[in-house]
Order: sequence, then C-alpha cells, then structure tokens
Amino acid sequence: MNVPVHHFLYLGAFLFSVGLVVVISKRNTILVLLGLELMLNASNLNLVAFNRLHPGNLQGQMFAIFVIVVAVCEAAVGLAIVLRIYREYQTSVPDDVNELNL
Amino acid sequence: MDAIHTYSFLFHFCLVAALAFPLLSFVLSFYISEKYSWITSVLASFLLLLGTLASAVVLYQAWNHPPFAYRLEWFSLAGYSFSAGVYINNISALMLFIVTGVSFLVHLYSVGYMAGDAGIQRYFAMLGFFTFAMQGIVVSGNLLMTFVFWELVGFSSYMLIGHWHEIPAAAEASKRAFIINRVGDAGFLVGLMIVWAHGHSFDIAALQHMPVDPTWMTLASLGIFCGIVGKSAQFPLFTWLPDAMVGPTPVSALIHAATMVAAGVFLLARVHFLFTVPALHIVAVVGCITALLGAVSALAQHDIKKILAYSTLSQLGLMVVALGAGSPQAALLHLFTHAFFKACLFLAAGAVIHSLHQAQHQSHVHFDVQDIRNLGGLEKKLPFTFLIFVISGSALAGLPLTSGFLSKDAILTALVQWHGEGFSWKLLILAAVALVSFLTVVYTFRMIWKIFKGSETATAQLHISEPPAVMRAPMAVLAGVSLWIWFSWNPFNFYGWMYTNIGEAKPFHSGMVSIASAIWVILALGVAYVTRQVTVGSPLLLNAFYFDRLLKQFVEKPILQLAALTHHADKKWIDGFLHATAYAQLIVAHLTGWFDRAIVDGLVDGVAGAAKGLGSFTRSFQGGKIQLYIFWATFAIIIFIIWTLL
Repeated sequence: MNVPVHHFLYLGAFLFSVGLVVVISKRNTILVLLGLELMLNASNLNLVAFNRLHPGNLQGQMFAIFVIVVAVCEAAVGLAIVLRIYREYQTSVPDDVNELNL
Repeated sequence: MDAIHTYSFLFHFCLVAALAFPLLSFVLSFYISEKYSWITSVLASFLLLLGTLASAVVLYQAWNHPPFAYRLEWFSLAGYSFSAGVYINNISALMLFIVTGVSFLVHLYSVGYMAGDAGIQRYFAMLGFFTFAMQGIVVSGNLLMTFVFWELVGFSSYMLIGHWHEIPAAAEASKRAFIINRVGDAGFLVGLMIVWAHGHSFDIAALQHMPVDPTWMTLASLGIFCGIVGKSAQFPLFTWLPDAMVGPTPVSALIHAATMVAAGVFLLARVHFLFTVPALHIVAVVGCITALLGAVSALAQHDIKKILAYSTLSQLGLMVVALGAGSPQAALLHLFTHAFFKACLFLAAGAVIHSLHQAQHQSHVHFDVQDIRNLGGLEKKLPFTFLIFVISGSALAGLPLTSGFLSKDAILTALVQWHGEGFSWKLLILAAVALVSFLTVVYTFRMIWKIFKGSETATAQLHISEPPAVMRAPMAVLAGVSLWIWFSWNPFNFYGWMYTNIGEAKPFHSGMVSIASAIWVILALGVAYVTRQVTVGSPLLLNAFYFDRLLKQFVEKPILQLAALTHHADKKWIDGFLHATAYAQLIVAHLTGWFDRAIVDGLVDGVAGAAKGLGSFTRSFQGGKIQLYIFWATFAIIIFIIWTLL
C-alpha cells in the first residue's frame, strides 16, 4: 500500500485546524486542552510523514516521541491546574476566571 | 392810563392770595375729620370770602392800568422754551372778581343747601378746586396754561355733576359732559398746535404781533372755537349741559350757568384777535343756532332746572353771536350780567326745590318737585324767593331797569352795527336774535307763572317755609347786582363804565335800538301773559329736537362702524401681518435649530463618535479573553503567511 505523502500532510493540516478551532471556540478548559493535544498530534503526524521523504533520517521521529512525552507532561500539569482552578472557583471556564485575588 | 405803571407788592400778594385761598379750601377739606364735616362748609366759605376780598383788591389795582404781565420759564423742549404766565387786564381782573365772588356766594348758599349731605367734604373740596381752576383760566396769560386749567375745570365739573354718583343718571351725565368736552378739546389742541407752528409762542400778549397767514389763522381759530363749543355748550356739542342738571343745584348755578360755561366765551373774547373774518362768520352762525335752539327748547320743558339750562344755552349762544359779530365788549358785558342773574335764578330755583324737599320730608308726600306742572301758587308761601325770581327773571328776560336789558341791548346794537346797510344773511341773524329775546321773555314768564301764580296743586297741603338766611343772603346779593345800576347809570344806555373799559370802545350807540328793544320786550311780556296757560307739548322741543338721537344716529353709529371696520382691519391685516412675520421667524428658528443640531452638533458628535468607535475597535482586541488572543494571533499569523507566500 503506497499512500502519497501529501495525504498525510492534508490529514495533519486538517487535524491541526480542528485542534485550533477547538482551542479557540470551546468554553471548557478541558476541551481546550483536548484541542491542544489534537494540534500536537497533528504536528507529530507531519513529523512522521516527513520521515517518508527522508527515510534515513530519524531526527523527526525522535522529535515526535519527544513531543509525545512533553504532551503527556503538559496534559498532566494542565489538568492539575484545571483541577485546582475548579476547586478554587467552582468553574472550569477560563473566561470566568478573571480575578487575581484569592 | 399812565404809560408806565409798576404794580405794588399788595397787588402781587392779593393776586396770589385770590388763587391760593380756593386751593387751600380744596386741600383743607380733606384734612377735616368726617365727624366735624360741617366745619368744612363754614371754613370753605370763609376762605372764599378772603379770596373775594383779595380779588377785589386786584380789580381795584388793575382797573384802567396797563395790563399786568408776568412770565416764568416753565419747561423747554427741543430748543423752545415754554413759559407760564399771568396776564391781567381790565377784563380778566373783572372776571376774576366775578368768578371768586359768585363762587363765594354759592359756597355760602351751599352751607344751607348741602347741610347733612354725606359727601359734603368732597363737595366743598371740588367746589374750591373748581374755583381755583376757573381763576387759572381767567388770569392765565398763556394758551398752554389756559388749556391745562381748562382741563382741570372739565375735571371738577365732572366730579360735581356726578356728586350723587349713586344715581345712575348723575353718573351717566358726568361721563357724558366729560367726554363731549374732550371732543371739543381735541379741536382746541389742534388749534393750539397750529398757533404754535406759526407763532412759536403760546403767550397771549406775544401772539397779538404774530405774522398772519389767513388760511392757517382761520383753521387755528376754528380749532380753538371747537374747544369753546364744547365748554360753552354750543351747537352741536350742547347736549351735555341739560343733562348736567342732575348735579346739585348750587353747582348748576356756579358751573353750568355763571362761570365754567362762560369760560369758553371768556377765552373767545381773549383770543378774539386770532379770529379771521370767515371764522367769525362761522362763530356767529353757530351761536345763532344755539341761541334759537335753546330758546325754543326751553319753551317745552317741565323741569325748572332744564328750563334754566336751555336758557343758559340760548344766552351763551347770544354771547357767541356777539363775538362773531366782532363785539367782544357786548359779549363780555352779557357774560358778566348773565353770571349774576343766572346764578341768582339757579339759586332761587334751588331754594324752591330745597323748601319743597324739606316740606315733603315732614309730610311724607312724594312728587317731583322740579316739575313745574306739580307746582303753582307758591307766591304766598315763598314771598322772598318769588321776589328774587321776579328780579332775576326780569334780568334774564331783558326787561328794562335790569342788567339783562343793558347787555342784550349791547348785543343788539353790535348786531345792528355789524349787519350794515342793505339785506344780507346777517339780517337773518339779527332777526333770529330778536326772536330769541322774544322767546326768552315768554319762557321765563311761563316758568315764574307756573311756579308762583295760579292755584296750588300738589303743594297745597305742604307746610312750606322759606329757606334759611344763609341761603337767602346770597340770593339777595345776586338779585341786587341784577339791577342796571351796577353796570351803567342810565338804565337805557349800556354805554356805562364797564362797557367802555372792557375793550376798545366803539362810539356807536343808537337810542332807537334801546327803545325798540324795550317795546319788543314789553310786547313779548304781553304775549307771554296771554299764552300763559298754553303749554307747548311738543316732544320734539322737549327733547331739544332729538339732537341726542341725531348725534347717536349720525355721529355715534358711523364712528362705531368705523371703529368696527378698523378693528376688523387691525385683526385681519395688521395682526395677520404680525402673525405671518411671527410664523416666518418661527420657521427660520426651526431651520437654524435643525442646522445647529444636525450640522454643528453633528460634526462635533461625529468626531467624538469616530474617536469612540476607534477606541471601541481597538479595545475589542484587549478583551481579556485568552481564546480571543489566540484567535487574533492565529489570524495574524495566517495573514502574515499569506503575505510572505504571495
């Protein structure tokens, strides 16, 4: 099965766009984080797809794994923050959290 | 007459005093409390006595001396100075004395007549004020000042006619007299303006040398004559005088017989030099109409005072005829004699009314005591009043041995001299005057006969007594001066001391006129006796030819119509024009308002709005919403990418 590389790029661009739209349009912070993951994964997909063009070069894939690790960390930290905010403000909508006083 | 004559301090003092005492009486009458109002009457009479003495001194000092003229700057206007002044010659000195004297007698008489009247203070105050104003006219040497006093006289006449203002007729008559006088005064004012325009002076002494333009002079003199027509109740402005008889009888005696109505004649004599020949002809014709109308109307009256009022009209008419005929002396002589005998007649009529009122009051019978049909046979009960009535009535009728005979003779002589030779319209006037003097005898005789002779009718069971001495004395004095002796030594020659000294004496006297006049009067007396029972029952004459209605029909109605027309024009055109301008202004205002709001304010608001919009726009990027930042960042990146790629 030989799928041309630009199809992956299309999929990556599509996912990235969906992720961006989710990040921008969703009210809930968790969903925003979800969209963020989607965008990271879209870039991962691109990195993997570009490997097809340069088969001997693994830097891209390495970078993809690195991104996955960072994404996990980021998701963990992000969710932790969301949890704290929810505890503090009884909300998970970022727009409602507009006061600095505790 | 000595050429240079300086008047003494006494003369000045008495001149001021003569005018000051009546004015003082006017002022003091208001300061006496109502409780002691009888003091007013006594005090006023006393002050007038002092005034009379002062004016007698003035007369004595000024008689046959050069005229006394005193001028004082009054006010100046537009570069012209107006003066107020006094001008005293024989005529005005004599008139001053007569006015003050008759006024004093009337004051004295009023003490009895008005006793117990509620408005006695107002009455004596106005009587004093009237005397002052009348004296003002007499001594004034300036037409403007004369006009001021002229109006004051009109005002006090208004107050006195309406003394019993709670009677509707009195209120009506006073208003009427005032308004009719104003009509004449309008003409007077126009005349004064013309005089001023040509002579630049109101001073009587100065006006005698003023340049003469016949047309304007005629107009000016006719204008002044208008004022005289109003004040002296000449045709056609005479209707107020008979109506004015509703006032107290002493007022009728003083104002509406002896002095105020004579003011017109006096003024006419004083400014006689202003009158041109055509103007004098008009004056004579007007006087003649008045004299005839008054005499004929007097024949049919039933009211004593109305008879006397119409006779006053007729006598004033005679004086005006004499003035028109160019003989002020004759007019003035008649004016002076008439002042006495007519005042006397009115006072005597007042005595009859007063006595009958008193008697009615005791026996509670009521009928109109002024109506001669209710009277008769009072000769026995009021012998003194009868005597007074006969003497003064003879003077009015112009019987020989009375003052009236002399003055009427003077007028007839003047007319005979005036009409000249041959037949002209002037002969008609002479004939009319002769007829008037005939009729005067008839109505006077009829009046006296109806009151005092015959059988008593309504008065039979009344206990009538003569009026008190305070009323009898003035009547006696006035009856005394109604005799010839005071005016000329010879009862058949008017050419006495008075006549020769009140003007440029024209050496003309026809004994024929005197004799003819005497025969004529005796003849009239005979006719009057024969026809004494005949009453002229013509309603036409009773109402003075319905002249009232004529005036109403031909003057009042057109004037009212004109007023309605001008009112309409005013409403429609002038108001319409004003409204149109107002609306135009409103529209312009609305337009500018709109311009202000839309353009001027709009510009300012627009700038502000643009700034605000810009602010809002830029602020919208800084909304504090994380996702919005991300959106805009993305948007910017996309644009940047497109920019770089293309």
